[in-house]
Amino acid sequence: MNNNTNNTIVDNLKKEIENFSLKVKGEKTGRVTEVFDGIAKVSGLRDVKSSEMVTFSGGEVGVVLNLEEDTVGIIILGDFSKIKEGDTVSPTERILEVPVSEMQIGRVLNALGNPIDGKGEIKTDKTYPVEKVAPGVVTRESVNQPVSTGIKAIDALIPVGRGQRELIIGDRQTGKTAIAIDTILNQKGQDMICVYVSIGQKDSKLRKIQTRLEEGGAMDYTIIVSAGSSEPAALSYIAPYTGVAIAESFMDQGKDVLIIYDDLSKHAVAYREISLLLRRPPGREAYPGDVFYLHSRLLERACRRNKEYGGGSITALPIIETQAGDLSAYIPTNVISITDGQIFLETDLFYKGVRPAVNVGFSVSRVGGSAQIKAMKKVAGTLKLDLAQYRELEAFAQFGSDLDEGTKQQLERGKRAVEMLKQPQYAPVLTEHQIVSLYALVKGYMDNVEVAKIKMFESGLIEYTENNSKLFLKQVREKKMWEDDGEEELKGLITDFKTNFLATN
Amino acid sequence: MANLSYNDIARAIYMGFKNKDNQEMSLFVDNTVKFLTRKKLLSKSKNILDKLEALMNKDKGLIKARVSTAEKMTDIFKKDLNLFLLKKYNAKEVEMIEIVDSQHIGGVKIEVDDEVIDMTIANKLKKLQTHLTR
Repeated sequence: MNNNTNNTIVDNLKKEIENFSLKVKGEKTGRVTEVFDGIAKVSGLRDVKSSEMVTFSGGEVGVVLNLEEDTVGIIILGDFSKIKEGDTVSPTERILEVPVSEMQIGRVLNALGNPIDGKGEIKTDKTYPVEKVAPGVVTRESVNQPVSTGIKAIDALIPVGRGQRELIIGDRQTGKTAIAIDTILNQKGQDMICVYVSIGQKDSKLRKIQTRLEEGGAMDYTIIVSAGSSEPAALSYIAPYTGVAIAESFMDQGKDVLIIYDDLSKHAVAYREISLLLRRPPGREAYPGDVFYLHSRLLERACRRNKEYGGGSITALPIIETQAGDLSAYIPTNVISITDGQIFLETDLFYKGVRPAVNVGFSVSRVGGSAQIKAMKKVAGTLKLDLAQYRELEAFAQFGSDLDEGTKQQLERGKRAVEMLKQPQYAPVLTEHQIVSLYALVKGYMDNVEVAKIKMFESGLIEYTENNSKLFLKQVREKKMWEDDGEEELKGLITDFKTNFLATN
Repeated sequence: MANLSYNDIARAIYMGFKNKDNQEMSLFVDNTVKFLTRKKLLSKSKNILDKLEALMNKDKGLIKARVSTAEKMTDIFKKDLNLFLLKKYNAKEVEMIEIVDSQHIGGVKIEVDDEVIDMTIANKLKKLQTHLTR
């Protein structure tokens, strides 16, 4: 290092020290009276605020959660093994906040926003408060742009719009996370930043997800926030709020963000643990009284902001794990009522080979319909009807063989629809391709193709259309709807392909 | 019944002790101990006594200040500090507990109840460190 560089460093240091001013004032500190299971009871701290960060004499950080007459209940963020009775606790006069930065994209962070992937520090001055009031009515706009998940069953029947909150709910091992990961993978080139919040998950699972996202090139626009199962409940409680604070920092730049909370059942359990330790009165299933508010204030922060207030959106995909398909348990009903719809996954369907195991009957999207593109709306409308009729007929069709022609045809159509909506993991389908295959299905072109050969027919058709279509695909891509000449072209293409397909197979 | 805080109990005991003759006093002490036993609060008597002491001190206008310095304080400094504390806390009397701790490097640290005024060099250096490494 030469002298010149040395001088610059010294000059910078001098400047920094000159800028540094220290105002001495009386600090209302406290003393730890009790410490157990990540909770500290502290006496003193007279002027402390709720949700304020405090520091312990050993450097550990805590957050004030309970303000009582004699003591203050504090959750300790991180290792609490070194905190002992009598330690001093000083207030910081800052509500809990996390660092935010563009540099966080592609990184794995802990619940406090610090990197844990060993790729070095993220230097940033900017911080965002973890708890923030959700945007008000005047700043919002209705949901009218789609989030394309690349999953046919969802894009066609349960569409998600930018700014929507769509719950993914189902038993263990039904592919909840798979849907979330597929959605992230499909956001490539769609001008979307993704935040994946992992709450109480095994580190091995998180690692698998990270590797999958890296392989799919999705880490270029994704941030992972993780509070692992080995970490204290306090971090699991904070993690989703950290995730949404980071998401808000991008929304404030007018960007669209997709945030996934995997999963909120574990979040509720972590909050229950904290609440019980803080001796708050337990309610139903031992959850505290404010467990609804816990999730409603988190999910309400997902929104689509109008242009005057800077635009941008946060789409939230919370995940809830049910026990034996029980939708009427406390947390599932709460979150169902907060969100704008749910994607219900079923074990039976999963083992029947219908994957993604979406139960189309129980799943609903309350606002996404208006976000669907016109072409998709046109083909999906008929599909919904076909499937509903199929479900109704399926049950009693098992008893008799004397079915009239119309019923038989509906059953056959339904079987083909179910077959077509099956999709392997990590294989997102482009919207225009989805429209081509759905068009062929609902217009009856697939009726005389064997059910077992539907998949083959579909993939062949898409390839054939991609190679030969001059109008239809272009119109759908650019104008979001086909025109008469495009439709004629597609009809011709499907007929040509089908003749060929039936002759060779 | 709502939970009784240590402060409530201490206040009740303090009020009860006031203006009583010897016989009444001994009866009152008996009753207090019985009450604490019944409420299973005897193990918490230290906390209650702390609160009681604070109440008594407040009434008397006495403040307890823990003053720690790197070197032993001079008499003039002590006198000045005494005056400063009397004025700041609006007190009638200051009981000073002096502590010498070389880790402070220099300056003074005053602790009154929960309030800490830390003017030591060590604290200033620590603050400078966080300012420079932020």
